[in-house]
Amino acid sequence: MISSILLLGGIGFLAALILGISAVTFAVKMDPREKEVLDQLPGANCGACGFAGCAAFAHEITVNPDAQMACPAVNEAALEAISGILGRSLGGSAPLIACIRCKGAPAETTNRYGYVGPKDCRAAQIVAGGPKGCQYGCLGLGTCEEVCPFNAIIMGEDGLPHVIESLCTGCAKCVSACPRGIIQLIPRTGNYCVGCVSKDTAKEMKPLCKVGCIKCGICVDVCPFDAITVSKTASAEIDQDRCQRCGLCVSACPTGVISALRMPQKVRIIAEKCKGCSICEQVCPAEAISGKVKEPYIVNEGKCIGCGLCIAKCPSDAIERIIS
Amino acid sequence: MKTFKGGIHPPEEKQLVKDNPIVDFPLSSRYHVLVQQHLGAPAKPTVKAGDEVKKGQVLSEPLGFVSVPVHAPTSGRVKEIGKIVHPVTGLLAPCVVIDADGCDEWAEGLPLERDPFAMSREELLNVIKTAGVVGMGGATFPTHVKLSPPKDKTIDTFIVNGAECEPYLSSDHRLMLEEPDRVLKGARVIMKVLGLERAVIAIEANKPDAIKLMWEKAPAEIQVEALKVKYPQGAEKQLINALTGREVPSGGLPMDVGAVVQNAGTCAAVWDACARGIPLIERITSVTGRGIVQPKNIRVRVGTLLGEVIDFCGGLNGAAKIIYGGPMMGIAQFTQDISIMKGTSGVLVLREQDTNITAYSACISCGRCVEACPMGLIPSVLSKLGEKGMFQKAVENNLLDCVECGSCTYVCPANRPIVHFVKHLKALSRAASAKK
Repeated sequence: MISSILLLGGIGFLAALILGISAVTFAVKMDPREKEVLDQLPGANCGACGFAGCAAFAHEITVNPDAQMACPAVNEAALEAISGILGRSLGGSAPLIACIRCKGAPAETTNRYGYVGPKDCRAAQIVAGGPKGCQYGCLGLGTCEEVCPFNAIIMGEDGLPHVIESLCTGCAKCVSACPRGIIQLIPRTGNYCVGCVSKDTAKEMKPLCKVGCIKCGICVDVCPFDAITVSKTASAEIDQDRCQRCGLCVSACPTGVISALRMPQKVRIIAEKCKGCSICEQVCPAEAISGKVKEPYIVNEGKCIGCGLCIAKCPSDAIERIIS
Repeated sequence: MKTFKGGIHPPEEKQLVKDNPIVDFPLSSRYHVLVQQHLGAPAKPTVKAGDEVKKGQVLSEPLGFVSVPVHAPTSGRVKEIGKIVHPVTGLLAPCVVIDADGCDEWAEGLPLERDPFAMSREELLNVIKTAGVVGMGGATFPTHVKLSPPKDKTIDTFIVNGAECEPYLSSDHRLMLEEPDRVLKGARVIMKVLGLERAVIAIEANKPDAIKLMWEKAPAEIQVEALKVKYPQGAEKQLINALTGREVPSGGLPMDVGAVVQNAGTCAAVWDACARGIPLIERITSVTGRGIVQPKNIRVRVGTLLGEVIDFCGGLNGAAKIIYGGPMMGIAQFTQDISIMKGTSGVLVLREQDTNITAYSACISCGRCVEACPMGLIPSVLSKLGEKGMFQKAVENNLLDCVECGSCTYVCPANRPIVHFVKHLKALSRAASAKK
């Protein structure tokens, strides 16, 4: 009885001794800030920063004083928090958002053949170049939804992927997964996106898709900021730096291929500041502003498309956006 | 009888077309000659719309060593450099459209008479390249490249591949029966190029008439070997293994074990090029399957439209699937507006009841694919990795050694498209290494 107690107790003591010594000698010294930084990172291990997961990047940014914020998914609050933890200011990149550049839902497009096989766009692409009639269009098998680490893409009932603005972090996983290259990252401040990347001419596209870019060039003509380019063999492209988000192209496009990510912010005229010069009335492309000269003008909110042309032209800073 | 380990026994179905003699396909009014009909570097068209061309005239210029030109299949006028669906990629690819003038006039000096055995090795290789000869079993790898092994590799075995293990197809069989001299003489030219004294011609035992004829005709230095009927007996690495017992190392080429394999059709094309100066502008193709009214073996010009070929064979009859090549490795087509290529060994038309287009289910780990795999891989693991797109892991599991013969897919009781998964993984792996 006594001997077994002593034996077991002895083994226990010995084990405790070994553990105690190894805890001191083999201790991994970790910067405590590393853990705090890790807590602030999104934790999706998407790899967009170029490191093997969030922990590896947290280590890098903590130990390397020159490391900058490479995580495209981190939000502003977290960026500030991490700057506070590390005691230095971190330059982040401008936040981006994914936009799907195809509107060719199955109902609007034709197929070349019936595809049976793995439900993966990349696998479908290697079977005679994919079943879709348009060789540039979305295959609709949901590979982007599958690879998104933030669940920010869902396949809609229309058979096309949709980006959930609030969840998308611009990590670009979907961009590299899409075999058709139809996902593009645009600045979060951007609002308009051409839903077509086809290089087909209007004639070639006609039998394949009803909603693609037909390269008519109307958007180029209406754009007041020269932000859109189009050619016979390239769909319209919006230069996001030049785009002032007026939305004129959206209403002008005959196939409705340009869409807005969010509702336009309408404007109102501050009556006290308005001198009644009528410049706003003249520049407004939607005929939403009316009034009498030398009296405050009024914006018809129903007609306003939120283009902001009037804001830019008003000599007395009397127009502002309505923030909802 | 000699053979390799693994493999399968699909129904041969050769009886549909194997006894039909080769018939010449009549001259068409228009040809669509694809510029890219080979594996390797692209070629660039050298003619333009409105040019007069003669039969056998060069239409394109190869860009690089691993590349070959294409030639005009008949005389006429170039209508345009147009676009046509490429049977392999399924995408639109450049082609030379030729309106035939009906005279079918040869280019100047063709066909000529010369003795290839009096020519040097370099001359022969150059002739083979400029004649646009590619592997005619279906892979379309430029023949002159295969015949120019690097200096550090010693070649001691040359095998003429007459196995034709793909079910349904009989084009090589008919060629060996009807034109054995072209095959054998071409083989001797290749022996000269490789500097070899001996060669083996390998034929599957289901073609006893061809074996007998070759036995009678073959000169002493060409040995005739009958092989066990098993798929994929005609695959390069399996053929080498069956005949010599050597195993091509993982990631290696046949030349690493001192062997060169050429298809019987390629040998015939080499003979035409070297002895008569005729470029590769026509081939023998089996048009077969139960979905076509009259299965035929035809001698058809490269660039002929598939629709015309189907009409010539009596049209379709309850067709569900049209395949370029055989049922195991061929490529399904979605349109008849494609042209016959140098590598089109067969056009197979299947009815719905001959195909199996049902959904696949989870792997039950039965191991039948492992038994069937002639490369000694574990296809079940590759297919599961394919579902998840885990290509790095698949490469560790020797993904790149898969020859995509389809034996695993054929035996899979869960209907899993294993070869499709493998192709998917290979594409992902290629894309990842291209990015680096």
